[in-house]
Amino acid sequence: MALKALDIYKLLPKKNCKECGDPTCLTFAMKLAGGKGDIDLCPYLDENAKTVLGATTRPPIRLVKLGVGERSISVGEEFVFYRHEKTFYHQPGIFFSVSDNDTIDQIKKVTTIVRDETLTRVGVDLHFSGLAIRNESGSADPFARVISAIEEIADLPLILISDNPNALNNALVHCGTYRPLIYAADSENYKVLCEISKKHGCPLVVKASGLEKLAQLTKMCTKEGVTDLLIDPHPQTLGDFITASSTIRQLAITRMAPDLGYPVFYDASKTGQQDAAIALGIVKYASVIITDPFSTASTKAALTLRQNIYTDPQKPIQMNPGLYRIGSPNKDAPVLLTVNFSLTFFTLEGYLESTRIPCFMLIVDTEGLSVLTSVAAGKLNETLVRDSIKKFEVENEINHRKLIIPGYAAPLSGRIEEATGWKVLVGPRDAAEIGEFLIQEWKK
Amino acid sequence: MEFNLNFGWSGSIGEVILGATNTDGGTRKRSYHIGGSSNLPFIDQKEFSESPLIAFEICDNVQYWSPIAKSACGDVINDVKDWAKTAETSYDADLVRLHLTSTRERGLRDVSFVKKVVENVLSATGLPLIIEGSNEPSIDSEVFQQCGEAGQGERLLLGTAEANRYRSIAAAALAYNHSVIAQSPIDINLAKQLNILLREIDVPHDRIVIDPYTGALGYGFEYSYSAMERIRFSGLKGDADLTMPMICSPIDTLNIKEVREADIQNQNTIAVMWEFYTGIAAAVAGAEIICIRHPKTVELLKKAFVALKTKNIYQG
Amino acid sequence: MPTVTFLPRYHKIDVELGCTVLDAAQRAGLNINVVCGGQGKCGKCIVFIQRGKIIFDHQKYAQFFTQDELAQGGCLACTTTIESDIQVLVPDTTLIQEQKILVEGQKTEIEFLPSVKKYYVELNLPTLTDPTPDLSRLLWMIQKNGGPVAEKIYAPLEVLRDIPAILRNSDWKVTGTIALVPGVYRLVDLQKNDTSKRLYGASVDLGTTTVVVYLWDLVNGKVVGVSSNYNRQISCGEDILARVNFARKNGLTKLQVLAAESINLALTTASDTAGIDREDIYEVVVAGNTVMTHILLGIDPAYMISEPYVPVVRRALSVAASRIGITCNSNGGLFVFPAVSDFIGGDVIADILTCGMVDREEISLLIDIGTNFEVVLGNKEWMFSCAGAAGPALEGGEVLFGMRANPGAIERIAINPNTFNTTYSTINNTKPRGICGSGLIDLLAELLRTCVIDRTGRINLGIKNKRIRQGKYFPEVVVTWAKESEIGKDIVITENDIKNLIMSKASIHAACITLMKAADITRHQISKIYFAGAFGNYLNKKNATTIGLIPEIPIEQIENIGNGAVAGANIALINRRKRKALDNIALKIAYIELNAEPTFMDEYTSSSFLPHTDLSLFPNVQRMLDECRLQRE
Repeated sequence: MALKALDIYKLLPKKNCKECGDPTCLTFAMKLAGGKGDIDLCPYLDENAKTVLGATTRPPIRLVKLGVGERSISVGEEFVFYRHEKTFYHQPGIFFSVSDNDTIDQIKKVTTIVRDETLTRVGVDLHFSGLAIRNESGSADPFARVISAIEEIADLPLILISDNPNALNNALVHCGTYRPLIYAADSENYKVLCEISKKHGCPLVVKASGLEKLAQLTKMCTKEGVTDLLIDPHPQTLGDFITASSTIRQLAITRMAPDLGYPVFYDASKTGQQDAAIALGIVKYASVIITDPFSTASTKAALTLRQNIYTDPQKPIQMNPGLYRIGSPNKDAPVLLTVNFSLTFFTLEGYLESTRIPCFMLIVDTEGLSVLTSVAAGKLNETLVRDSIKKFEVENEINHRKLIIPGYAAPLSGRIEEATGWKVLVGPRDAAEIGEFLIQEWKK
Repeated sequence: MEFNLNFGWSGSIGEVILGATNTDGGTRKRSYHIGGSSNLPFIDQKEFSESPLIAFEICDNVQYWSPIAKSACGDVINDVKDWAKTAETSYDADLVRLHLTSTRERGLRDVSFVKKVVENVLSATGLPLIIEGSNEPSIDSEVFQQCGEAGQGERLLLGTAEANRYRSIAAAALAYNHSVIAQSPIDINLAKQLNILLREIDVPHDRIVIDPYTGALGYGFEYSYSAMERIRFSGLKGDADLTMPMICSPIDTLNIKEVREADIQNQNTIAVMWEFYTGIAAAVAGAEIICIRHPKTVELLKKAFVALKTKNIYQG
Repeated sequence: MPTVTFLPRYHKIDVELGCTVLDAAQRAGLNINVVCGGQGKCGKCIVFIQRGKIIFDHQKYAQFFTQDELAQGGCLACTTTIESDIQVLVPDTTLIQEQKILVEGQKTEIEFLPSVKKYYVELNLPTLTDPTPDLSRLLWMIQKNGGPVAEKIYAPLEVLRDIPAILRNSDWKVTGTIALVPGVYRLVDLQKNDTSKRLYGASVDLGTTTVVVYLWDLVNGKVVGVSSNYNRQISCGEDILARVNFARKNGLTKLQVLAAESINLALTTASDTAGIDREDIYEVVVAGNTVMTHILLGIDPAYMISEPYVPVVRRALSVAASRIGITCNSNGGLFVFPAVSDFIGGDVIADILTCGMVDREEISLLIDIGTNFEVVLGNKEWMFSCAGAAGPALEGGEVLFGMRANPGAIERIAINPNTFNTTYSTINNTKPRGICGSGLIDLLAELLRTCVIDRTGRINLGIKNKRIRQGKYFPEVVVTWAKESEIGKDIVITENDIKNLIMSKASIHAACITLMKAADITRHQISKIYFAGAFGNYLNKKNATTIGLIPEIPIEQIENIGNGAVAGANIALINRRKRKALDNIALKIAYIELNAEPTFMDEYTSSSFLPHTDLSLFPNVQRMLDECRLQRE
């Protein structure tokens, strides 16, 4: 558990020497508690304090880097069970699986999709992460051929799935320097795989049914000198996965089972319900998810869910305040006021677009608060509306002086009229009804 | 060392009964006890236990209903009775959620037709019913009164109470023995506040279902997801004012850009996937009722819920 | 020079031609109500000219007067210039002296150890056989009379210059004044004959709105005079931000001069009342908020109010009073309290000193409420602090019938749970004009107890009673009917007022919780809650707890310290050792920026409920409210 500022303060020398750059030991302790400080900045820390503080500030789940270059990803280094407690930091890699039984053409096609397919949402480009190659042929040559074919056209993180050490060794000739993930060590073969992993400096997945076995195995692998590990609890059902993954996360972050403090690997393609498994993997702590190549529909939903879950929950997403256009509004087009909470903005924008009535959206700065909250908190008020109309020169854009305000802002209507001299129309509370409102009320 | 998941929960989620069969004085073919869990969703849930329920949403005025949902449902949408019946027999939903969209007409005063609509739907389906009334305070009281009366004895779930308008819906629920949906804007504190307000006008906890408000996937769903997780966490930690079951009602899902503007050949699947991903995540976060508008999503979710409850290795 | 006579008490003062009536009144020691700072904007400083010539633009300011008032010679004191001897009637309503500016003294006993002391000495005449220099002769004798070691006393040149003449003109009988600042004893003054009984000091609370001065006899440790007036900087802007912006545009000089003048005015009033000479004031101790003390010292505060909010000094300062324009003894000293951050200023340090939380093992929570609020949590080991804007609601702003604590303000109120009729008391027992902060807190608690509002502050219009009704914009509750009120209107509280009050109280409570979480303590570990600030003294502790303004702890552990700033300045004035502690207090305090605290919004939302969303934090309030509800049913 994270230490509070006062607990840390008690371990500090309390000299207020300022050598750490902070005015007092207490402010330094507050920084450390917030995860923003560096204990090494304190020159007077005794050994005991260093050990205690060091142990609680080290990430409870190891950070593992997969691949190299621009498309490499890092997974792990998470601190919380619930994203609202802080945030989730490293979103899971989603890997498309291919088989060395597939034709080279097929494989190149999938590779190209993973390499090129991009979904742009809220200004961010979302991709799939890489490819997982299954050594289904059972022999080394086809495996190596497929991998070299992929390497020819893409610099993507790879996962090598094989229980044949020769096949792995052969494949690693082609990609060993690019940090592919090796799958998977079990209690039988872990020594050999650890050797291979060490030789190429590649991360390794360990696999076992049962968390005790999994923990033993990671311990043995670290003894062999491999520490960049992922763990696969080998679930058979979705129910197995959620239980295993939740348990691993909880025991890892509470530091009750440090041997489970590794990112979780989840093969969704073997579940028979791939979409459900992907959704589950995203929300419930998978760090690497393998799937069969899938449809556009699943792609969009999966990447969007991943983006949603891995945004910082403590930051309200804000839009830039301003006057936005829907379609090409003319000087008689309606002006709709709303707040700069992006959820509100996008929802209203969506409904307005579907009405096909050109109009203006006047977005005012409520610091990302929703209509309801900003009215309650007094952030949305007549002064803000008046100033925004002036600032964004709304009066130059239109001939009329009518403003549509959200239904939840109805209590402000009188005061907005007084402050702006505009006529205020109270719109619906539910954005879904804006179309009807515009047709019935605006056209009047 | 034993690797068991022990959160040390001290509370459990209260049960709410939806629907009344003839033994309980109603006419529903079945009723549900939702809630009752004493751990995180699917963690130590047994196969025979209740899955999250899937409520299929219909309405009595389809003018502004999503065109995707309309075309997926076909002609039945023109008669709310047919629609309700199809939801039960063909889509295999667990619940029917009737939106009285006809009450949304601006300036509407006479709402006496509401009673008839509710009666019609009740006669068309044997499933327990959720009814969404008006969202105009000036007719609230009358609309809820009509719903309550028409469904007397059926243990309806009435929506929606909010912090600034909860008295009339609560009055109707109490008078006719129904439950209420308590909606707050994606905030655990506001959710709790509303439950306290309801408690203080004598709506018992076992008559409340929390609607933390669900933003569409990609449009604020993450806030709702965390609000649900926090509510469930607090309930299990023993906060009595947050131990109610939750309903996830992502009403904007089929209207967002990604779905609305998808190319025609993909639109249907995207709509289903959007509902499906939302539904899975919401169920894992703690929702006991998932609202759906596309018939195809029902089956997919049901299958996933079965798999989520199946444990072969990890018993939780 | 025209003479101005102020009725009804016949204060007289001579002023130059063209002086404003306001200036004259202030110099005469009258506290005229000038909310706008004398700009002719507020219309509060109405006086009646009964005799003499003045210039006043009646047309321009007509809006502020009734016909009656105009007929009787009504003018605005601030824009009326004096052209001859005049006689002016100042109505009570124009005076602010009756505002409850907190001026009560220190409750606990403080050891009397002033930092200036006078020594009357009779020196032996120098002779050829005893040619000891004048200074040594003087200092040795002072040492002999109980003063500090002669070698350690430093004599500044200005005093040195006067020594030979004074000694010889006084027959070698003189009084020396020594400042006992540790390490550097200074000979501050030398006077003829025995003046040792005439030694005074002043402590000052330099607030954004008001200045309060206590005048102490530093020989016997008694308060001899108290005075307060508005901070004359008000004419440059109402709040701190406005002042800093004013300084940015127009430079610091005017604000600095006004700050000094405001103090001088209070010093004059106090010393005149006490009948002492200001030359006998040897020391002035000032506690004020960070911006005020920066301005008083002529240090630019501009960098403080924008990121990263860095004040210039964080330690106590001693300067010659004359250097910043404070009129006391020409060699008198000025001691200024240290500050922690932009918002945690010397006034808060003074609060901390006053309540004594820094001396104890047990944890205390200190809350200073004004337009801004400051909260400090801690003990002798550690302290956390934070500050924020409470919004003006608790001071009566942003509330339809809210007002400051002036005559006619409803300060206490109760509601009959059956009839919803109100019983109340007003300041000075006059007819009600509005409701001040303590009245608003009572009202909120009573509305909750009587179930007129729910816990979110919504008025239940379902209650059939004529006091509960839909107003023009919001539902409202009638507090007093027009016929009982001074203003001829129903005094109401609207749902919007209640929302504003809840927002204010939520900010303060959320700040308390944020500090408690930072320190990882619960309300059970808080041994004391101290209220400081404007309405601290009149606050009903039970009602403050009922609405969830503060964490629930047993009522007897809550204490009002009133104006902690001046009380702290008093302590520092009369006990020099306590001053040493100030820099340590300032250093000990860690400041938490609420805006950067990710959980603050969450705490705020959960505090935006009566008393709080987490009712387990308010078990007794909850029990009481449950009982009230049951009784209603």
